[in-house]
Amino acid sequence: MQNDKQHLSLGPLRLQVDPTRAKTYALETGGDGLSTPLTYPAVWLAEPSLLEVIQDLCRSQDVIPVHESQSFFYSLELALGETYDLYVLLKRETDPSRLIIEARINTTTNKLVAKIETILRLVPHDILKVKA
Amino acid sequence: MNCAITLGEKLPEVIIGPFDTDALQGYADVSGDMNPLHLDETLAQSIGFSAPPVHGMKILAAFEPMLKNWRSELKIIALSGKFVQPILRGESVKLTGKVLRVSETEIFVRLFAHGPQRLPAIIGEARLRPQTEPSA
Repeated sequence: MQNDKQHLSLGPLRLQVDPTRAKTYALETGGDGLSTPLTYPAVWLAEPSLLEVIQDLCRSQDVIPVHESQSFFYSLELALGETYDLYVLLKRETDPSRLIIEARINTTTNKLVAKIETILRLVPHDILKVKA
Repeated sequence: MNCAITLGEKLPEVIIGPFDTDALQGYADVSGDMNPLHLDETLAQSIGFSAPPVHGMKILAAFEPMLKNWRSELKIIALSGKFVQPILRGESVKLTGKVLRVSETEIFVRLFAHGPQRLPAIIGEARLRPQTEPSA
């Protein structure tokens, strides 16, 4: 793991496309459950080692993460039941206050499968309360 | 193959939702996105929403079946979206798309998700390619 004030890299996290979870995810999002949904890697954002970093950041700065944008770019398809390595780079920006999560999914033989970008706007708790 | 797709072609509209509490909980359970904003009525109201907002990813993900139903012979190689406005629990969403670029190897589609508000909830895009690319 490499860490500095504005960037944190995690990984590789070895993760599997769980067929049951992928099918449930597909059905919850209007799909047929016959293949891995393109957006399935969103579930890997909830991996404890990644989620803890995000939650700690939000707690320490008293901000709420608001999903601003999301992108998926595929070189290969994600196969049901297959195992992959997830590499994550978290980038903190201050103006505007955002957390950018860049992830790369590789096969276990280090072939690129997909690149993912998640942008979270970090909104101060106080501002949200004032708006109410 | 791409000649069958014309610039400006509109994808068939799809209506999804309205999503109830169980639907939001269902997405939270499978995705692991337990952000209380989507699940806690009191919290949502405390920051000015009349109901909890639907997970943006739940809506963005729904573009994939829409695109597949439109052209199952194409594979989607990229999907992205900017979450502009929240869709609240109980609101329906209209998904639309329009072909903005066509080449021999790739089709670019602009996507919109609209709730009841004037502004779109999501502005997105997708890139699709033939399952087997033409040889050089």
